[in-house]
Amino acid sequence: MEFEPVIGLEIHVELKTNSKMFSNAPVCYGKEPNTQIAPLDMAFPGTMPTVNKNAVIFAIRVCNALHMNIDKEIHFDRKNYFYSDLPKGYQITQNLRPIGSNGYLEIEIDGKTKKIGIERLHMEEDTCKQIHFNDFTLLNYNRAGTPLIEIVSRPELRNGEEAMKYVEMIRSIVVYSDVSDGKMEEGSLRCDVNISLKPVGQKEFGTKVEIKNINSISYIQKAVDFEIERQTKLLLAGEKIVQETRRYDSNKNETILMRVKTDAVDYKYFPEDNITPIVLSDEFVEAAINSCPELAESKKYRYINQFGLNNYDASLLISDKDVSTYFDELTKFTKHYKLAANWLNVDVASYCNKNFITINAFPVCPKSLSELIELVAKNDINSNQAREVFASMIKDNISAIEAKEKLGISSQISDSDFVMNIINEVLKENPQAIVDFKEGKGRALGFLIGQVMKKSQGKVNPKLTNDLLLEELKKR
Amino acid sequence: MKAYNKEILQDAAHRLLFDMSNDEYDTLVNEFDIIIKQMNVIGSNSSIDNYEPMIFPFECNTTFLREDIAAEPLTREEALRNANHKAGGQIKLPKVVQ
Repeated sequence: MEFEPVIGLEIHVELKTNSKMFSNAPVCYGKEPNTQIAPLDMAFPGTMPTVNKNAVIFAIRVCNALHMNIDKEIHFDRKNYFYSDLPKGYQITQNLRPIGSNGYLEIEIDGKTKKIGIERLHMEEDTCKQIHFNDFTLLNYNRAGTPLIEIVSRPELRNGEEAMKYVEMIRSIVVYSDVSDGKMEEGSLRCDVNISLKPVGQKEFGTKVEIKNINSISYIQKAVDFEIERQTKLLLAGEKIVQETRRYDSNKNETILMRVKTDAVDYKYFPEDNITPIVLSDEFVEAAINSCPELAESKKYRYINQFGLNNYDASLLISDKDVSTYFDELTKFTKHYKLAANWLNVDVASYCNKNFITINAFPVCPKSLSELIELVAKNDINSNQAREVFASMIKDNISAIEAKEKLGISSQISDSDFVMNIINEVLKENPQAIVDFKEGKGRALGFLIGQVMKKSQGKVNPKLTNDLLLEELKKR
Repeated sequence: MKAYNKEILQDAAHRLLFDMSNDEYDTLVNEFDIIIKQMNVIGSNSSIDNYEPMIFPFECNTTFLREDIAAEPLTREEALRNANHKAGGQIKLPKVVQ
């Protein structure tokens, strides 16, 4: 029997606001424990929640990017549960009326586009961070109240690769729309996956298993694929799938049981009566949408259609928002877009990787790099010389022109007559190489170019030399 | 419906780690009396069964959203003042998960 996986994802995204969702305590990652707290975050009696304007703006940006219906009346509800991570005894969330509903996201699988439905996007507050030891637990309330959006997909994903691509796209949207840093390793983007299997063709879904808090995009694919295999084996052996929560162990590449779900938890939701409904004007929603920076897909389209880059180069550039920002700045100073993309994707990326830095710490500014690109584009220096100049620019903190002078690199000669004279001299001195070339020996051309370069002390333009030499050889 | 007296309110306040003056307790007891009487009136009227309960006493939509400006937070000492057990600047609890 063949089974079809049914996968749905719930993604929590921490918003990078200055203050918390319902209090004015600062939102800062990595500060000393319990130093980023307002009385409301600790549920001190008499404190009242007020809704963070930027959190609403950020939620609207993401709703719009996900093609969702935006509810222009904001309602909050209480999700009641008793646990030490929330001192109020309830979480303020949006249950009945999420700000966003009925959207979709497009992912690309093997060159084909697949549309994944998104059921809802709602705003809520984060809980405190708990660290569990053998026989006690420590509570740090710095995170309590941090604004979150939760994005709930429809169960329309079918395998690990689709799930991974979906999370990649959500991450790209929240990072490019400047609402979150999207750092999974720091918990800014957290992912829960629901997986069930059903016989192919059957309408009813099987029993679903939840995998909690997967903290890396690559782990999502591995966790989903492992879980599909695990459930398939159980079903083929005639066993039943138990409704349970599991976690992914990256060392063992397997999912591990956390707890069995006996009954659905009743959170006794009811409307949050400390926050009256908030009506958003059309102008407010429109301004929130218009405030969204350009998204990755739009940039990619622009790079391909406006700058003539290929899909590979454009995809590489947009895979890191900061790199694409650097590239955008670079294109203000040079029109040699393909060359600029190559330098960024190869030499600059290699330097950053070797030195364990991000593009933001790369010491050469876009304007300076553009000067190097212009030298290469004008054939003023060849590619080997350009790399030497590049290294010197970084090492000595100087401009491309200064580096070229410092290295004693004179400009390449692109005078056709001058180059032709040397070619003729070389051909006269090497008649056997002409015969070899005519007999189809490819190495002969390289040999002749080498001789021309040697005679000119490496000063002639290699591309021009190649073109003129080929032309001359054809005549002989 | 259960009557609310000063002892019950005092107990609740102490559980929440605060206290009030005798006058404040008296005011609160009187207010609870009025609320409970009103609830009894509503509860004795069977003709309201088909009405959707209201969340707010009247239509009270707002447009207010707080500007995203962080204020000075509590000091750690203030934040942890009511915690009985602390360790490393954090609240220490018995572990309740496996």
